[in-house]
Amino acid sequence: MTAPLLAIDSVRYRHAAHVPEAVAGVSLRVDPGEVVGLIGPNAAGKSTLARIACGLLRPATGTVRLRGDDAFALARRERARRVAFLSQEEPADLPFTAREVALMGRAPHLGLWALEAPGDRALAVAALAEADALDLADRPVAQLSGGERQRVFLARAFAQDAALLVLDEPTAALDLAHQVLLVTAVRKRARKGRGALLVLHDLALAGAACDRLVLLRGGRLLAEGGPQDVLRPEVLGEAYGTQVDVVPDPATGQPLVAPRIPR
Amino acid sequence: MRRSAAVRAAIALLALAPLVAVAVGVGLSLGAGTLSLGAALRGVEPDATVLFRLRIPRVVLAAIVGAGLSVAGVALQALLRNPLADPFVFGLSGGAAIGAALSVAITGTALGAAGVSAAGWIGLLPTQFAAVLGSLAAAVLVFTLGRARGRLHPERALLVGVVFNSFASALVIALEAVLAPEKTQAVLLWLAGTLGYEPEPVLVAAGAVVLVAAAILTALAGRLNLLALGDEGAAALGVDVEWTRLLSFFAASAAVGAAVALTGLVGFVGLVVPHAVRLVAGPDHRVVLPASALGGAAFLVLADAVARVLFRGLGTEPPVGAVTALLGAPLFVLLLRRRT
Repeated sequence: MTAPLLAIDSVRYRHAAHVPEAVAGVSLRVDPGEVVGLIGPNAAGKSTLARIACGLLRPATGTVRLRGDDAFALARRERARRVAFLSQEEPADLPFTAREVALMGRAPHLGLWALEAPGDRALAVAALAEADALDLADRPVAQLSGGERQRVFLARAFAQDAALLVLDEPTAALDLAHQVLLVTAVRKRARKGRGALLVLHDLALAGAACDRLVLLRGGRLLAEGGPQDVLRPEVLGEAYGTQVDVVPDPATGQPLVAPRIPR
Repeated sequence: MRRSAAVRAAIALLALAPLVAVAVGVGLSLGAGTLSLGAALRGVEPDATVLFRLRIPRVVLAAIVGAGLSVAGVALQALLRNPLADPFVFGLSGGAAIGAALSVAITGTALGAAGVSAAGWIGLLPTQFAAVLGSLAAAVLVFTLGRARGRLHPERALLVGVVFNSFASALVIALEAVLAPEKTQAVLLWLAGTLGYEPEPVLVAAGAVVLVAAAILTALAGRLNLLALGDEGAAALGVDVEWTRLLSFFAASAAVGAAVALTGLVGFVGLVVPHAVRLVAGPDHRVVLPASALGGAAFLVLADAVARVLFRGLGTEPPVGAVTALLGAPLFVLLLRRRT
């Protein structure tokens, strides 16, 4: 049995003294081949947990293991070869072209003078194609639209070639077709033994995209399981504090979540 | 940019090499008097003395200072993520001014005598020595005050640097009121950036400092690129952000310190040469850093030659710091308009 790509064990994290814990004792794992969705209301601790998973925030207590090794004992570059992170707050004003940004994903694989080999350039081009951003390759990122930029940063994460992808709301700026493209690309990678942890707000998309869902509220784990187990009206109603309807997709049987809005 | 960074860096350096050669040629052949290069090389006097004792050291000096200030400007713009950063942004200009003014004020006292002997041992004038000490102390102070909760905050460091430089100029004005006018005049002229004639060991030492700083910064160039993604984005790609900041800050400060020791405060070069290089070569620091070293060297050698020729009739020289701005500002505007 191979070690899980990510194993988080009872981590706690507080952003500053005298504020409530952002993450208050959560355990979570991502196995090879798995796409795991992190859902929950605003300020549930999803983004904080995503950063802890990447070794960007060090939890006060608890452990984070990447393929069995302590994430905070690994060399930074080795850690970056095991997990790639896409933030919600990527910069908008970069002077670099899309190709150069995709190549930045190769940084943890390069030597002293950070000079890329032809293989790195080929991987960056493949990553741009995978994110449907190849036609943007030679345009400065600062000149792109929000959705185009998001695809370029996704290409950077793909080019990093890490077994685990941690994507924080990757679909927020994307149109429907590109949401489908992203989920398809991530699931295709998972079939090759890789894995992903996706922070998602769109519950219908989360149900369709993920093998397993983890529902957080107030920094605590509220529910975990397959989409059918987590996306239930009583569970979501409690988590979000609003009434929702869940109906099975007539074609696939996947749960579809609809908010109940009085009119 | 379809070509790899290594190829683009090589192209930029090959393109700049002739420019440096032309600048050096101009710098060697222009000056207060006329000079026959052929005669000088055959050992005919006084041409040989003028060439080897005056012109060559002067050109080497300008090249070292231009290269050092330019690579420092690139590094500080990247590490503060601010295009307006110049080599003196960490309070270095204010620190140098305080150091120089104080050294003039206390020369003649016991402390002054100790300073003179320490400076003389290194081969620098006491004013130069004090200016370097002042600027490096200021840089460390501003860098320290710019940190909070264990990391450097670029906006905070920039603010502290600006405040410190204002404080320093107020202090210098106060000192001026106390000091004899001719003493302050000398300090102010030197601070404005003056290329003089430095002893060879000083040139060699400063050249070595600038070379090592440029090499360190070029090795960090890939990481400086990633800093544009933000601290977190860079960290997620395996960059030790704090270490990169600290190392590039010290390398840049060492290069600026060497430049201050040789010439006082030569403005404009470190701000504009990096931007000019970026306009032509793109934003990649693996190209911009080495290209700025050559571009900065060529630019200051040329500016110095122009200064010597333009003011030959007057029997004087303006501070090269003024010439760099007089020459550089129109050139830069021209370049900016052509590219956009």
